[in-house]
This record gives sequence, structure tokens and C-alpha cells, in this order.
Amino acid sequence: MYTRCVTACLMGVVGLMLFIGPACSKKEIQATSGSKSSEQAMAKGGGQAAGARPEPGISEQDLLKSRADNPSGEIKVAKVQPSDATGRLAEDMRREQAATAAAGLKDVYFAYDSWNITEQARQALSADAEWIKANPTILLKIEGHCDERGTQAYNLVLGEKRAKAVRNYLAELGVGSSRLAVVSYGKERPFCQEHDESCYQQNRRGHIVVRPK
Amino acid sequence: MSLMRVVVFIAYLALCAALVGIMESGAADVFLEATRPDFQKIPIGVLGFQGKTAVDSSAGQVADILKADLRRSQIFSVADLPKLGIKVNDVDGAEKALFKQATENGISVLVWGKLGVKDADVVLDGFVYDGGEDEVVAGKRYVGPSSVVRLMVHRLADEIVFRYTGEPGIARTKIAYVSEQAGARELYVMDYDGHGPRQVTADGFLNLMPRWSPDRRFLVFTVYRSRLTQDIDLIELATGKRMTLVSLGGLNITPAFSPDGNDLVFATSQDGNSELYKLDTRTKVLQRLTNNSAGDLSPSWSPTGREMAFTSDRGGGPQIYLMGADGSNVRRLTFEGDYNAAPAWSPRGTWIAHVCRTQKREYKLCLISPDGQQNRQITTGPGVDDSPSWSPDGRHLVFSSTLEGKSHIYMINWDGTELERLTSGGIHHSSPSWSPL
Repeated sequence: MYTRCVTACLMGVVGLMLFIGPACSKKEIQATSGSKSSEQAMAKGGGQAAGARPEPGISEQDLLKSRADNPSGEIKVAKVQPSDATGRLAEDMRREQAATAAAGLKDVYFAYDSWNITEQARQALSADAEWIKANPTILLKIEGHCDERGTQAYNLVLGEKRAKAVRNYLAELGVGSSRLAVVSYGKERPFCQEHDESCYQQNRRGHIVVRPK
Repeated sequence: MSLMRVVVFIAYLALCAALVGIMESGAADVFLEATRPDFQKIPIGVLGFQGKTAVDSSAGQVADILKADLRRSQIFSVADLPKLGIKVNDVDGAEKALFKQATENGISVLVWGKLGVKDADVVLDGFVYDGGEDEVVAGKRYVGPSSVVRLMVHRLADEIVFRYTGEPGIARTKIAYVSEQAGARELYVMDYDGHGPRQVTADGFLNLMPRWSPDRRFLVFTVYRSRLTQDIDLIELATGKRMTLVSLGGLNITPAFSPDGNDLVFATSQDGNSELYKLDTRTKVLQRLTNNSAGDLSPSWSPTGREMAFTSDRGGGPQIYLMGADGSNVRRLTFEGDYNAAPAWSPRGTWIAHVCRTQKREYKLCLISPDGQQNRQITTGPGVDDSPSWSPDGRHLVFSSTLEGKSHIYMINWDGTELERLTSGGIHHSSPSWSPL
């Protein structure tokens, strides 16, 4: 009875080993440099490991070799190619900044967690609206910005709420919404880099930008 | 055949069956509970590596990489052998007296190896002695160019972790993140331990919030295509090939692939406010999942793909909500505090990590169970913590924090212990995302 159990166990092991046998061949992994790195299991205890016992018929070595490794191997990362967009975006930004500075429009600021237009912001936007109406061919963009507190993702949504609040208020003052694009930068393009309230105040902003023709 | 042998063979059988199970299903149902407080770590000693290569990877560095990997596995406690009077380095390893000495000091596993050179390649041999079996139970040889020595050591560490847990190790996983470069924010990928950062995009403006495809071939992310529009792009890491997946009006942010890789859920504000949509990447069919006047964003799939967690400010401030993968059965998960966002469902399904605002208005990491019954804060102190992402073994989180001033990427154990900074230098690092296995 006892011997039969042992035999059954052994046969089970052998059967399983045969079943997963194909996975036991030598593995090769593709290295990041494009050259190959190979891996081989050495005999139990290795040639040099003098303390090892003689290898039994079925070793754990075989089990190790059958591990469910990712056949696709290592993650490779191609060398980055500068995008065609790089120069164009930088040029767009320069033209935008020049046109915006020339117009002298006022930005508006928000309270923590808030996208409500404050009394101070109403005054600024009234002045802006006059200029915008006096220059009917000019297209504008309202950028919503946030301070560094809060998550990147939610701040993108918050920034969009701020930009749209500014657009809606300008529309109330008679500026056609079709002239007012909105974009949110969340906390990704801060005006001020310090970690204090005076800086945070600068960054909770609706920034009004003149789009170059 | 002794009774002992029978027991060992039955154990082999069980392990074989477990292996077959892993290969067939891709995931095991029962995990070694290294996350339980009463889990006893396995004491392991690294005797060192003999020999050296012509390149900069000295035997000491190899041993240090291995020890760090074993420590991070949370399976092993790495013993300070010299402190125990056990000589390291310059030992052949396979010395009976040494094994005995280590076992008497309570160390159950010993690892050592050799470094050599063969033609232009580095040869790394690693051996494992198990005190329980009193045998050298494994020997592995890795051969490769000197540029992949770290990778070879990580493979050895993963072999040892797999040997003692039946689960693949994470030493060869990667972390995608965003780094400021020449005034722009570009995507990068680094090793899980912060080594070998590689730049992935060079667009010159904003690339945000990368996430991995389940097969690890692609990153999906938000790109500011021009000064006015944002798209969701896919980049194939091995080739650098790009493809735009989503280009709707307004914000297109926080993409996340379903666990089977077929669906992409993301937030778009094409309807006026941010809503979640699901894109079937095979049929290109777009399905709207949320419908209200508030912002819905940051979807994170449950490991089964049947549900997702997301952020919504439909109740006022941002909170975590759950819903079915088809948008059904929406319910609020978080009620503590007035700001909870950026959910990340753990690969084992047991926790949803997120950013929570404390009473002191600090933005820290919290965990909540999907049934809402358990809730704990795992980081404290100054700085804004953001973008938690789980390691594929569910034992670690990677996140960004300004706790030292500049925004850096940090790794931490799921229970808030062993904080480790992964990035160094640079101006601003954010939005980490841990690769799948």
C-alpha cells in the first residue's frame, strides 16, 4: 500500500514533467541593447558546488525551468526620435505670448478648490470684454490653471471648469463664444514654482491669450 | 523510500499542479499572504559573488543589486552576515561549515555566485542553498553583454522569489512616468528600482498620465497635440511608433486599458463636462458610460474587468465611485474627507489606493476596500502625493510626491513602510505607472 502510493506519486510527477516538458528548453531573452542574453540552468549544485549531493532522478531544477515566464521577454524601449511638432509648438508659443503681451488683457484668479468668478475677476473681465469687442477679428483662448495641490487628473478637470467659467462670463458681457476657445493645463504649466500660498494664488488662474493670426 | 521522501514528492506534485495552473490561467487564485501582518519573512543571506568582469559591474555591486531585490520582494529578510560573524566575499560558497554556521544563526537560505567573462559576454552563476533541505537546491547561469548585467541579477532575484512563493518576481518590471525636459513634459520608462531611465517621447510640449497596455507593448497617454487640442495616443515602446486613439473635442484624459486589453476607458469633455467613455479597440465602437453635469474621470479597472473605480465630483468635491464595466450600478465608495481622487484598484482586488485630503489639507495616499469597510491612510507628512500605481504583485505602490520639495517618484510598501525614492536629479517627475508582469 505504502509502496504503491509512492509509485503513484512518482508517476504523477513524471507525467507532469512530461506535460510541461516543452517549456523546459533553454530560454533566450532579448536584451535592451538588441543583443542576446541567454540563461541556462546548471546541474543541481553546479560543477563547482562541492557540497551538493548526487542529483536525484527528478530534481527541482526542472520545476524551476518550467516557470511561467513571459515569452516576450524583457521590455524594450526604442531610441526616441524628436517629433516634428517640437519646433512648431515652440514657435506657436512665442507668437502667442507676443500677441497676448501686446493686447494687455487681464488674467483672473480663483479661490482654493473653486471655479467661481470673484468680484475682482468681474472687474478684470469687464475691461477685457471692452477690448475684445473693440477688436472683433481677434480670436482668443482661455487657459485654466491650478495650483500644485490636488491630483494632476482632477486639476485638469478643475482647470477646464475655470476656463469655461471665464468664457461664460465673457459671453454674458456680449463676447461671442465662437471667438473664445478653452483649454485646461491643470497644474502642468504653473506660472510660479514655489510651494506657498502667494505662489498658489498666482497659479489658480484664468489666463486669456490672443491667438496669433 | 522514507516517509520524508513521500512528503517531499507530494509537495513537488502540489507545486507542479500550481505551476500548470499559473501557466493555464495566467493568474493564481491563492497568493502567499506576504501582506498579512503575521507573515514571517524568510531569513536569507547573500554570501557575495566571486570574480569580476572587465566592465563597471563589480562583484560588490552585483551582490547589492541582488540584496535590494530580495529586500523589496517582502518575502525575505536579508541578513547582515558579517554582523553575525559569517564571512562573505572570497568564499567559495559551497562550504559545509558555512552552511552550518548560517543555519545555526537562523538563516534558512543562502545565495552566492560567480562572475566571469566568456568571449565578449559576462557570465553570472548563481547558487541557492536551502537550510531546510540542507542542499544546494538551485544553480543558474546567465550569459549576456555587460549592458544587461543588472537584468541578469534581476532575473536571478526573480528566480529565487518564484522558487519560494510560486509567484513571478517583479525585479524586471518597469515604471513609466513623466519628466520635465527642456520646458516640456515627456514620457520616460525606467527599471522598477529607478535605474536606466529611457526617454520615450520628444514632442516638446505636454505628454501626461501614461498607462501600460496589459501586454506591456504600449503606453497610452494624453498628448497636447497643439496649443488647443489634446488627444489620447498609443506608442509602441519597442519601435516608437505612434497612433492616435481618441481625438474628440475638449479634454481627452486618463485612459485605462481593460485587463483583457480590448477596451479603453477614458474621460472626455466633448459633451461640455468630463464624462467616461469606453472605446472597443477592435470594433472602434464608442460607448458613453456616465451621464451627469459633474466631472467624471480617472477610471481604474478591477482585476476581473467586471467593474471600475473612478473619480467624480457629482456630490460636490471629488470622491471615488464604483460602477460596472458597462456603466451600470454606480455607487459612491468614499465618504471620509472632502477630497478623494486618482483611484488605483490593486491587482489582487483587495484595495483601492487613492489620493485623500487629510484634515490638515495635505494630499496623502489612502487605501479603501472595495466594500468600503476598511480604510487606512498609508503616507503622512508634508508634500502633495499623487498618482498611486500598484506593482503587479500587489505588494508595493509607486507614486509622485513633493515631500522633499521637487516632485519625485517614490516606491512604498502597501502598508506604508519602506519609502524609497526612485528618481534623482531632474526638475519635475510625475505620473508613475507600474508595468504589468
